[in-house]
Amino acid sequence: MKRTRMHWLIVFILVLSAFLTACSSNDKAGTNKKEGSSVETSNKPQDGGTLVYALDSQPKGLFNWTFYEDAVDHEVLEFFDENLIDYDEHLKAQPHIASWTTEDNKVFKFTIKKGVKWHNGDELSVKDWEFALYTIANKDYEGSRFENVRNIVGAQDYRDGKTDKIEGIKVIDDYNIEITFDKARVNNLDNLWTYPMNRNAFKGIEVKDMLNSEVVRTKPVGLGPFKVTKVVPGESIEMERFDDYFGGKPHIEKVVIKVIDPSLSVGELKNGTLDMTSFHPSIIDQVKALDNVEAITYPGVSYYYVGFRLGTWDGEKNVMNEPKYQDKKLREAMYYAINREEWVKAFFFGVGKPVNRPIPSNHWIAADQKELKQYKYDPNKAKKLLDEAGYKDVNGDGYREDPNGKEFVINFSHYATQNPTFEARAKALAQYWEEVGLKTKLTMTDVNLYYDLLDKADKSMEVFFGGWSTGADPDPTPLWGSKYLWNYPRWVNEESDKLLDQALDISVVGTDNEKRKNLYVEWQKLFMEELPILPITELEETMAVSKRVQGVKFDVSGYNRPHEWWIKQ
Amino acid sequence: MLKFAFRRFLGMIPMLLLISIVIFTLARLMPGDSFSGEIDPTNTNPEYIAEMREKLGYNDPLPQQYFRWITNFIQGDFGKSTRFKISVSEVIKERLPNTLLLGFTSILITYVLAFLMGMYAGRKPYTLGDNLIGTFNYLGLSIPSFVAGVFAIYFFSYKLGWFPSNGSIGIGMKEGTIEYWLSRFHHVILPAFVLAFLNIASYTQFLRNDIIENSRKDFVRTARAKGTPESKIYNVHILRNSIIPLVTFLGFDLVSIISGAIITETIFTYPGLGQLFLQSVGTRDYPVLMTLTMLFSLITLIGNLVADILYGVVDPRIRLD
Repeated sequence: MKRTRMHWLIVFILVLSAFLTACSSNDKAGTNKKEGSSVETSNKPQDGGTLVYALDSQPKGLFNWTFYEDAVDHEVLEFFDENLIDYDEHLKAQPHIASWTTEDNKVFKFTIKKGVKWHNGDELSVKDWEFALYTIANKDYEGSRFENVRNIVGAQDYRDGKTDKIEGIKVIDDYNIEITFDKARVNNLDNLWTYPMNRNAFKGIEVKDMLNSEVVRTKPVGLGPFKVTKVVPGESIEMERFDDYFGGKPHIEKVVIKVIDPSLSVGELKNGTLDMTSFHPSIIDQVKALDNVEAITYPGVSYYYVGFRLGTWDGEKNVMNEPKYQDKKLREAMYYAINREEWVKAFFFGVGKPVNRPIPSNHWIAADQKELKQYKYDPNKAKKLLDEAGYKDVNGDGYREDPNGKEFVINFSHYATQNPTFEARAKALAQYWEEVGLKTKLTMTDVNLYYDLLDKADKSMEVFFGGWSTGADPDPTPLWGSKYLWNYPRWVNEESDKLLDQALDISVVGTDNEKRKNLYVEWQKLFMEELPILPITELEETMAVSKRVQGVKFDVSGYNRPHEWWIKQ
Repeated sequence: MLKFAFRRFLGMIPMLLLISIVIFTLARLMPGDSFSGEIDPTNTNPEYIAEMREKLGYNDPLPQQYFRWITNFIQGDFGKSTRFKISVSEVIKERLPNTLLLGFTSILITYVLAFLMGMYAGRKPYTLGDNLIGTFNYLGLSIPSFVAGVFAIYFFSYKLGWFPSNGSIGIGMKEGTIEYWLSRFHHVILPAFVLAFLNIASYTQFLRNDIIENSRKDFVRTARAKGTPESKIYNVHILRNSIIPLVTFLGFDLVSIISGAIITETIFTYPGLGQLFLQSVGTRDYPVLMTLTMLFSLITLIGNLVADILYGVVDPRIRLD
């Protein structure tokens, strides 16, 4: 009895150890092979292979351009569907499937390429685009894209049910369409909805039922290099190569998009079970340490700032009536007091860059550094400015009082999420101000409540940390115009409004981008002179790409189309 | 017995109503709603957000909102998820099978291991084996599941490669095939173990102590005196008496099967109800959040009822009538 038991135990241990050694030797063989192949690098694309791409949270499952809402669904859509136009590395519109001509920026004539195929075999027609525009203008449409259709002549009337045809959309034939806007604007094209919908796939589905339909949820039909074969809701999307892709046959055979908790992504990348994922900057050092993965950073379009509550929102427009931070010298001093280089390095893991304007540097309207007033870290200058403005320490407590001799406290708010670095970075900012003698009180507020308070221009939000991400349209009006809700500092400046209006006014700038840019440069100069906010940093996007995946290129508009990618076998 | 069950069942109705009021109020007390926070100035505008808030009735007075919600709820209309844009019952239906599978597997593991270890430890108390089991159990009880989960992934997924670290199903599986079920099972084992780790301890110790206590009782002495084999005494006479208190745990297990494991599911990116619950809190998806909380409350009440009834069944002394 006893002997047999021992016997089994020994067998078990033997098997286990054999298994373990097998595992480790396999590993070694694997790395050896990889090293070998990278030595004899062949740069000719190879066909085949499966690419595993990870999302860091669950997609909502709205896999259609017309209905999608968040960035996660967008990541999936990029693989299997197309925009009719494209954006270059300065976010200028470029012809893609569609090209266009316009003489007055009011009437646009679009021509699409012939022979572009949908995944279901249909040929792309401008009628598919017309169908998308009509869907969005429908009164039952619940998404948020009507903004991008509103300016077409008759779209509002169609939505209100006054007509059953949008006057401004004229289909000439299958490949040509003419779109007329209600008014000539320089950014009509940037704001136009340029994503078609396959009209056959949606045949017989009412607009109000489209959101729940299979075509949106689990069996989407796109134009992109890969077609969706299976959707496991909330978990994974499988795609295969679409041989008739208009840009050429893709190299990669299959794409698998999985939801993987961010805490697992480094391990998965290391194991080689994941090829590509965007990741949070905080783990960049771990990703960089992996031999088989490249950590790629590419320019983003978001920036962070410190804002001041200069006024309030009266329900329709901003009113600048809050005296506490009205003194420009105070704001300037607070700007000089911040060591942005040091701060960004400490809290943005090397993927941030100090920024000097409310426009990301890669945008084509971004002003050159030389033209803008610089606010390099200079605590002495900050102190001098504060002295000049009358903020002096009169009662000897080590902190400055306001010009009237009353106690002065900066009430600084930062949003709070689960991210533990937020409080640290907010404290660091407060520290800079304390160093020049400004007493600072920091409040961390739950992120949902935080934006609610900002929307309402709540009195408690005196100095606040915020961020914006901008799109292709360079117009900063919705964020900094005096009549806009999202102008959180409630900054009102006639000169700024005038410049912003002129930059959109076709009678001033015509179709000349140079002229338009010059106006925006003027505006940025003014903005940095007035300092309603202190721009702090812009953020680069971060992406991990396995070294076996080749041909992936990034610029500010994202990656190149995936049909050019290939996997080293 | 039937009367008792029926009376308890009726008593649940006002309890549920009260719970619904609390849930609704707490949910609405959270700052912000599904539209705050994520503003994308290029794609949306304040008018659209205001219009949607009006459309969803977020501007109505709270009591009115409550009655609208509870009326629909009773009629089986749980509303539409503000995040997924489909009806809540569909969202839950998508994830329920995953949670059930995880729950049942973990309970199965718990019971099997707890019985084996509990019986061994009860039969040979204060030996090396008993102490080892005890150590293991208290370790399990004291290690929080998020730590256990991360370590399990590190060792069993990354170092050994035995189990996948995330998801509920492998890629390219066809539904209904044997491979499909094997793959699902393969994915569920690791999270189920982590989940069971915590429960095994209390079950084992419960069983062990009961066996020790029973083994000193008169009927055991009688059986020994009759010359009944020791193994029969333990496996039949004592065990039968000792599982009585364990049976009553069954009612509570019901709850843990459905409510899933909020933390474990999130760590393993396992798409079940627990993960869904946590995400709905983060995105202020009220309809999903409130439906799930109501569901969990209901199951808890039913679990308690089942436990009470089972008490009566296994132990006639506390039968209530």
